[in-house]
Amino acid sequence: MSLEERELEVLIGPQHPASGHMRLVAKIDGDIVVELRPNIGYVHRSVEKLAEVKKYLQIIPLVERPSLADTTANNLAYVMAVEKLLGIEPPPRAQYLRTLLAEINRIHSHFYGMGIHGVMIGSSTAYMWCFGDREPLIELAQELTGARLTYSYIVPGGVRRDLPQGFEDKVEKVMRYLENRMPDYFDLYFNNPVTRARLEGVGVLTKEDAIKLGVTGPNLRASGVPYDVRKAEPYAAYPELDFDVITEEAGDAFARVMVRVREIQESIKIIRQVLKKIPDGPILNEKYMKMIPPNLRKQVEETGHIKFPGVFANLRVPAGEAVARVEGGRGEVVFHIVSDGKMSPYRMRMVTPSFRNVILFEHLTKGARVADIPAIYGSLDYFPPEADR
Amino acid sequence: MQDLLSIIMEPYVFVPLIFPGITVAFLLLLVIIWLERKIAAKVQLRYGPLYVLKPLGGAIQMVADLLRYLFQEPIIPKTVDKLAFIMTPALLFGTAYLPTIAIPVSPTFYAFRSDLSLLIVLALSTLAPIFTVVMGWASNNKFSLIGGIREGYIVVSYEIPMFLSALSMAVLYGSLDLVEIAEAQKGIWGIFLNPVAAITMLVLMYMSTSKFPFEIPEAESEIVAGAYTEYSGILYGLVMGASYVKLYVLSLVFTILFLGGWNPIPGFMANDPLLPGVLLFIKAFIIIVIGAFLRAVYPRFRIDQAMDLGWKTMLPLSIISIFISLVEVMIMGGA
Repeated sequence: MSLEERELEVLIGPQHPASGHMRLVAKIDGDIVVELRPNIGYVHRSVEKLAEVKKYLQIIPLVERPSLADTTANNLAYVMAVEKLLGIEPPPRAQYLRTLLAEINRIHSHFYGMGIHGVMIGSSTAYMWCFGDREPLIELAQELTGARLTYSYIVPGGVRRDLPQGFEDKVEKVMRYLENRMPDYFDLYFNNPVTRARLEGVGVLTKEDAIKLGVTGPNLRASGVPYDVRKAEPYAAYPELDFDVITEEAGDAFARVMVRVREIQESIKIIRQVLKKIPDGPILNEKYMKMIPPNLRKQVEETGHIKFPGVFANLRVPAGEAVARVEGGRGEVVFHIVSDGKMSPYRMRMVTPSFRNVILFEHLTKGARVADIPAIYGSLDYFPPEADR
Repeated sequence: MQDLLSIIMEPYVFVPLIFPGITVAFLLLLVIIWLERKIAAKVQLRYGPLYVLKPLGGAIQMVADLLRYLFQEPIIPKTVDKLAFIMTPALLFGTAYLPTIAIPVSPTFYAFRSDLSLLIVLALSTLAPIFTVVMGWASNNKFSLIGGIREGYIVVSYEIPMFLSALSMAVLYGSLDLVEIAEAQKGIWGIFLNPVAAITMLVLMYMSTSKFPFEIPEAESEIVAGAYTEYSGILYGLVMGASYVKLYVLSLVFTILFLGGWNPIPGFMANDPLLPGVLLFIKAFIIIVIGAFLRAVYPRFRIDQAMDLGWKTMLPLSIISIFISLVEVMIMGGA
């Protein structure tokens, strides 16, 4: 029998319980994957083109939508690029609030990824636990921003809302809950012999390959490359905070999960520091604060909820180019904005971590078993809408 | 009426139709699937089935599901092998429940008594997987095909060690008659005499009925629903029920082999031919519930890992269990 006859082409998705919004074209020989090509683009929504006809403030909700579960990173990176063009800096308190939301978001984004991964290898308990424990963090974000997922919290020059009253105590309660909860995850899921058997040594990404393929985020750090935008090019309040870049050496699916778990612990550390160090002061740049009408400004100072100054409606950004990078939950988010001085960007480029990681599907599954496909897929925390944009 | 009742109470009618046959199997199906979902929900910090009969925690959820299966259109794709596609669910369910006829209810109540009833039960229980493989082929779907083949691979890796560990108990008791085996455990249960055989058989039972962590032929995230992918309506209801019925049958066998069957019989039950069956059922039910609980604990193995477990761990263990039996027979025979 020739090789071609031995191979069976299986189309996994887009109507498949575990494919997500994409199709995986797998060629399998018995139980061995000969080739797996991801067929992406099913949820392309033309964010970059739409941005060219939308006003600068309208783009904030637009860029958030593709990366559900990890929206703050996109929000922050976009606004940072706009701020670079505007030449304004947010006040220190706003920087800390941005960091706070980014870290809350990172934790629940990691829970989201680990939960999906859990159910992909058959542990419905890991799935339910992760999604259940994601809830307190979403509640926190809701209390802070008013929305559960798409916060649109970060605006040019600052943030939309100040800390609510008694927020510190609520955060501390959630953080303590998470710390007490983590051992349960280890007992039932991470140290489960079946989990270990399914994930250890599966989908190994070597350090050299990880760098060569331009992989980003926890997937890169799981291969032993200590690269994190928060350290490499610090932004927001990160330069003033003390935290470690988490790396694992093994580079397999289990290492990728472990990086996420340890990053959750690191994020808890960061959130505590933020709440301890956060300075008093305004949450919106002075320039914009002055533009708010006096009676409304009084209201803003009382409630801590920003009323947008009129200039935001038709925000004009000086001509030029700006690039901003942010370390999101899934990896590095890059925004490149080209402005020609009009009310919409001339061109906006949005590079999401999932798009950079999609190459791993083909690279890691070669020679793996059919059952490893979901185990590797889940470990990448790949999110099709984020890659398709 | 009296005549009808007396006919039903005849062992050769009662066993296949009531207990351990179709009626109890069916009721168990309704309870165990609900219980499995409820246990998993408890571990996973959620409610599980709730709204169908709320005071009892959604206890008749499966009745509602069954009604849905009954009235849902069973879609038969154009490209399938029609005869095989339609026949296999019924045959699968039928063969899964067939071994119950050879299972005794009490020392005096059985459909028929045979010197070889253990062998008959085991032999009949091997029929069902054939239909899963046929199903995978008849569905004309790649996922079904992979699922059918996986079932085939799993069968060859659990069947031999499972039978060896079951037969090691026959060696120990010097009989293949289930009634005699159960009666031999009046004092000490088989699980204490040969724990290796008990563990081997328990694990392989869950493997043979696609319980977690061995839910490999139906792995949802890999091959949709394996051999059952194309099935819908009551046809799917039947194939889904079949593995539970098979677990029920094997649990009864396990109870008789290792947990003393109906022993020890309390005094008030001693004179009734049927009541000891209640004990048998309760013990088997506990074994099934343990299987249902595993869903909340384990992810699923990869197929090569499951086969490794079958061939490299369970087969040696089952051979060891035969030696344990032989040694015990020699010691006890000598004494």
